[in-house]
Amino acid sequence: MGTAGSANADILKGTLDVLILKALSGGPAHGYTIATWIASASGDALALGEGTLYPALHRLEARGWVRSRWGTSANNRQAKFYTLTRKGETQLTLETRRWQRYAAALFSALAAPAPGASGTDR
Amino acid sequence: MKRLDRRPDPPLRSDVERELGFHLEMRVRELVAQGVPPDEARRRAMQQFGDYEGSERECADIDARVERRASRLSFVRELWQDLGYAVRVLRRSPGFTLVAVLTLALGIGANSAIFSVVNGVLLASLPYRDAGHLYRVRTVYPDGTPYALSAPDFMSVREDTRVFDRVEAYSTAALTMTGSGEPRELQAGRISDGLPALLGWQMAIGQGFDRGHFAPGGGDVLILDHGFWQRAFGAAPDVIGRTVTIAGRPAVIAGVLQAGSRLPPALDAYAPLEYNDTFSASAASGRRSEFLAVIGHAKDDVAAPAIERDLQRIGASLQAAYKPTNDGLTFGAIPLAETIVGDVRTPLLVLLGAVGFVLLVACANVASLLLARASSRQDELAIRAALGAGRGRLVRQLVTEALVLGLTGGALGLLVAYAGTTALVAARPADIPRLDTIALDLNVVLFTLAVSLVTGLVFGIAPALQATGRVLRGAVRQGARSGGATSSEHRLRGALVIVEMALAVVLLTGAGLLVRSFVAMTQVAPGFRVDQAMTFRIALQGTGYQAPPQLRARIDEIETALRSLPGVTSAGVSTVLPLSGRGSMLGFSVEGAPPPPANVNAEIAVASASAGYFTAIGATLQRGRAFTPHDTADTPPVAVINQAGARHWFGIDEPIGRLVNVNGVRIQVVGVVADVLQRDPSQPAMPQLFVPYTQRPARSVRIVVRGSGDVMAQLPAIRALLQRIDPTLPVLAARPLADLVTDSVARPRFYTALLVLFAAVALALAAIGIFGVMSYAVSQRAREISIRMALGASTGAILRRIVGQGLTLAGAGAFVGIASAMALGRVIQGQLFGVPLLDPLTIATVVAVLMTSAAAATFLPARRAAKLDPAGALR
Repeated sequence: MGTAGSANADILKGTLDVLILKALSGGPAHGYTIATWIASASGDALALGEGTLYPALHRLEARGWVRSRWGTSANNRQAKFYTLTRKGETQLTLETRRWQRYAAALFSALAAPAPGASGTDR
Repeated sequence: MKRLDRRPDPPLRSDVERELGFHLEMRVRELVAQGVPPDEARRRAMQQFGDYEGSERECADIDARVERRASRLSFVRELWQDLGYAVRVLRRSPGFTLVAVLTLALGIGANSAIFSVVNGVLLASLPYRDAGHLYRVRTVYPDGTPYALSAPDFMSVREDTRVFDRVEAYSTAALTMTGSGEPRELQAGRISDGLPALLGWQMAIGQGFDRGHFAPGGGDVLILDHGFWQRAFGAAPDVIGRTVTIAGRPAVIAGVLQAGSRLPPALDAYAPLEYNDTFSASAASGRRSEFLAVIGHAKDDVAAPAIERDLQRIGASLQAAYKPTNDGLTFGAIPLAETIVGDVRTPLLVLLGAVGFVLLVACANVASLLLARASSRQDELAIRAALGAGRGRLVRQLVTEALVLGLTGGALGLLVAYAGTTALVAARPADIPRLDTIALDLNVVLFTLAVSLVTGLVFGIAPALQATGRVLRGAVRQGARSGGATSSEHRLRGALVIVEMALAVVLLTGAGLLVRSFVAMTQVAPGFRVDQAMTFRIALQGTGYQAPPQLRARIDEIETALRSLPGVTSAGVSTVLPLSGRGSMLGFSVEGAPPPPANVNAEIAVASASAGYFTAIGATLQRGRAFTPHDTADTPPVAVINQAGARHWFGIDEPIGRLVNVNGVRIQVVGVVADVLQRDPSQPAMPQLFVPYTQRPARSVRIVVRGSGDVMAQLPAIRALLQRIDPTLPVLAARPLADLVTDSVARPRFYTALLVLFAAVALALAAIGIFGVMSYAVSQRAREISIRMALGASTGAILRRIVGQGLTLAGAGAFVGIASAMALGRVIQGQLFGVPLLDPLTIATVVAVLMTSAAAATFLPARRAAKLDPAGALR
């Protein structure tokens, strides 16, 4: 895991926020749950270590997209649970749309014939 | 990894540590469940986590930022709470609030009004580009007297200076303008070529001067001041190119200046300076004909001492090169702004200080009110403290209330200031310069805001600390119902009263000294009879008055005609009236007397007077004779010297019959006349020499008409008479002779009146203050007083006791105040005339006034105390 390509890491670091929002869209969760989900859903988003998840969570909380409170975990330990706020939900919807548009544009570009491959003047 | 091993007590770890720790713990647990040995599990968990410390630090930073923002928000929220609470509290006691706000509004408003005068007159910069670099250059005589510059000296300074990058000059004269409606006298300036650019003048219409206008023969052009253009030409846009006649010579109007473009003295019109032969740095003659006001523009980073040194260097070189004319003379410079406001600076600052004292007294009063209120609000404060408000929070609350009072007072104060400045400007306090620039501008508003805030803090903090300190010492335990004041509060309020009294004493002393000076000034014998006489001015200019014989004939004609008017007993003509100056300074020596040393200004002020002048003005001839109609241009020159001149130049010798030399002309002294006031009553008479008008005619003359009854009623007849003699002669500045005296003390009268007003307000406030304190003390000690009475104290004894306590406070205040007044006396010493700083009469009066006011203010509460029912003690 620690050997992820740096280019991928850069792109995917920007996606960490939206992945966290997505992870929380199913209901409150603590950091460990979120990290596990992200690792399974997108191996590279936490390429620089699971620790990078926590500053991202605190940042999202400062922005008001998530809310936190201390609660008890399944194994009866004190854990900090994060919940998506209304603002966070909106943000997730916006981000999802943006990524879809981006992916669609990239996909159609990749599907189109490359310039000069065979006579463009036909 | 180390952190995991350490396993500190959970409660001692930060939230971030707990959060990250939980993650690692979960990971290790999962790995162990998969069969990884614990040590290996911990290593792998850490590796998977990545930069633990970096993450932790980053999380903590983000949280801290969030927290700081939240605390800022909560401060603002609490401030809003405090403000809302303060407004509610103040509205609950409208009486207190009204008294406090009005007191403050008066105090702050008076300060803002005086500040707006100071701001407009002293602080606002001159309306010139680069005004801070402008200096007035002056000739300095050996005795330190500053003069204007002569043309050659001006050119020498201009060419030799190393500190100025530009040196310009102007001269001024009163001229008559004809050819555009009524003949009109205008104040005209002749300006050097670079002056408009130096002062940054802008033309409203027309081109102004060009280089050719300054060449010989090119100077018959005129530019008009904006205000004069509006007054004399009705702001006609087509004045450019019109020809008017100035002093008998045609001049073409070449432009109109914009409103702000002006010389330091605002003039009506400007013409080019005529550069004749004397405008040469190498001219030997004309060096002692000083008529140019010179303005220098200092180079960057040249300071005043360097300018002074450089001008002295030029002075020294001229002394060597032109010994006969420049021996002992040098040059000096002062900032241009200072020449305009120099002598009003101290009085205005004194007034600002005085009005500041008034505000301090007002503050002390409001503080005293707040103290009294705080003890009645003890329950409320105690409850809030019990509910968990710390002392800081309570102090903040009380200070917020004080600030709300201060700001409300300040807002009302702006209205007071507006009314005050309007009244001040309308009162036209004599010749205070630049009054037109006084306005309630942004500076004044900011000043008021600052004063309001500082005021709120000054009167708010001590009572707040006092009140909350008591709450914390356990007022609840003491039994809140009694609301009894503590001794420390009594001490504080007593101290406030002493301070108020002391401030009032300082102001009263200052006002008293100024009043005594003013009275002394008005009691100075003017040396002439002010009643039943009037004066006006005429200016003989134009083609009809080219030569001296024409002037002589016309003046004689006018004087004779005036005397023939019914009700007129005498009429006379002079070039200089009393209290209007001294005359032209001319070189002077006494024949047969040893020559005076070279560094003494061997000059005397010379004025021309007609044969009837001394009678008309009512001046007493001491010895010899006055002028007669037989003293003509063709008879030997004669002169009448004033007493001061006789004393200065002849000592105990008899001046009558002696020959004196005035600018090279031999004149025989034929009479000695009593001194008259020359500038203002505070200045002693200087040597003055009168010569017959016939032997030294002048164009601008003052005419004095003495009659029986109301001489001013003769004015229409006088106008008609002059109109018959010469329709182009305007009657200027007609007024009773008594106005000369009134005007000469207008400025001291203005300052004195304001200071008396401030002192009276301060005294009234201080009296209210002592009244409040004593009333409060009586109500607090009603029980004690009743007991005393029950024990047999007489009504008189109670009265004496209470009044005595009030007077003790007032006496302490008077003592402190007199001492402070003596220490501060220096600042008004320059304004005093005929009264010493330690004037026993003033001090005694002030103390008497203060003690009487204090006794009166204390008497009411004392009487209430004396009327208390002795049985009250039993309940």
